[in-house]
Amino acid sequence: MNFTFHRKRISGISAVVPARERSFVEEMRNFNFPEARSLKLKEVMGYDKRRIVEPHVCVSDLAVFGVQSLFDRGLLARDEVDALLLVTQSPDYFMPPTSNIIQGRLGLNQDTVCLDVNQACAGFVIGLIQAFMLLDQESIKKVVLINGDVLSRKTSAKDRNIYPLIGDAASITIVERDARNLPIHASLKMDGTRSETLMIPAGGMRMPSTPETAVLQNVGDNNLRAKDHLLMDGTAIFNFVQLEVPPLIEGLLARAGVPIGSVDYFLCHQPNRFMLQKLADKMKVPYAKMPNNVVEKFGNSGSTTIPLAITLNLADKLTGNSELQTCMAGFGGGLVWAAMLMRLGGLAFCEIIDYP
Amino acid sequence: MNEFLAKVARILEVGEVKETDDLKAFPQWDSLTVLSVIAMLDADYGINLRAADFQQISTADDLWKLVQAKKAA
Repeated sequence: MNFTFHRKRISGISAVVPARERSFVEEMRNFNFPEARSLKLKEVMGYDKRRIVEPHVCVSDLAVFGVQSLFDRGLLARDEVDALLLVTQSPDYFMPPTSNIIQGRLGLNQDTVCLDVNQACAGFVIGLIQAFMLLDQESIKKVVLINGDVLSRKTSAKDRNIYPLIGDAASITIVERDARNLPIHASLKMDGTRSETLMIPAGGMRMPSTPETAVLQNVGDNNLRAKDHLLMDGTAIFNFVQLEVPPLIEGLLARAGVPIGSVDYFLCHQPNRFMLQKLADKMKVPYAKMPNNVVEKFGNSGSTTIPLAITLNLADKLTGNSELQTCMAGFGGGLVWAAMLMRLGGLAFCEIIDYP
Repeated sequence: MNEFLAKVARILEVGEVKETDDLKAFPQWDSLTVLSVIAMLDADYGINLRAADFQQISTADDLWKLVQAKKAA
């Protein structure tokens, strides 16, 4: 599906990362695997540090902390939040929606539109698309888009396919109208036939959690994982990204009439450094234009990695006078792949803060 | 073929890989190596293998024949 939007902009981004840091070198002793090979994994994938929550912390905790901090510093006012969108795969509860919990905890008024969007690594682009659609309503002037996940709590410490790369984070992105009429283009693809490539098998209604679903099983290569844990078929995801993402972005650029060389930054989801370098190679984009340093500092936090790539690498530029032509691209669970071509600049804030 | 063997040897971090070598007998043959081989074949030969494709091969020559068959397909 293709989208075009007008008169919309991002006016601020604040990312929230747990203060608790883990290091790959300390954690690799959990794996039933030769240390030399684990170090090779670190070198190739770019694993180093990551941030994860304490086991009791929920996505609403990160979100409320981040939005409250904006209120406290006068960067956002309570009564200007017309809609609160939360993109997460790790809600506080099945019901009610976590966005309602956040609304209540922040004391937002009853006219606030609260929506949970259950989307994974493409969730930043999808959240922006949803925010832009809400802004087409005259009464909605400002949307607070929150992306967040605490999926470290759903990973097995003995599964080196997933454990060393997952990080937790949330981000708050303020989306509002732009007086200027600049087009924003987006493209979105979904393929539910490949939904089992990235999933948490147990814990929903199809396979409720039981003592059996918590039992660790050897799933090959001496990796141990339970049905309650997040699973990822890493090589299938690699193939998916290499095959599907370049044509999606090329199609988007062609439709927008923007040559690839005019894009200042490709701000992609951050699965690991290896995959991003291979994606850049395939698209013939210099590595400097496609940041890949989020995983080594924070881990892969799902839909929050694009805001982290922006706040980590472009804060000075975006809060200064420059305006950048960016192409954002998210890809992952669903499977879903989505890209957006959008100018970014003049942000009131572009930061990373620690929780708590 | 020689160039292909040299590329596989580089990924396995060994001096040489022969056609008849059983790839899975190398201690470095793990999921990371498989991923690196898949990435190399995609970048250098324009073919996409899946992890499951490696179940049917054992020697370097088997892999080379699979690459040729995929290229022809």
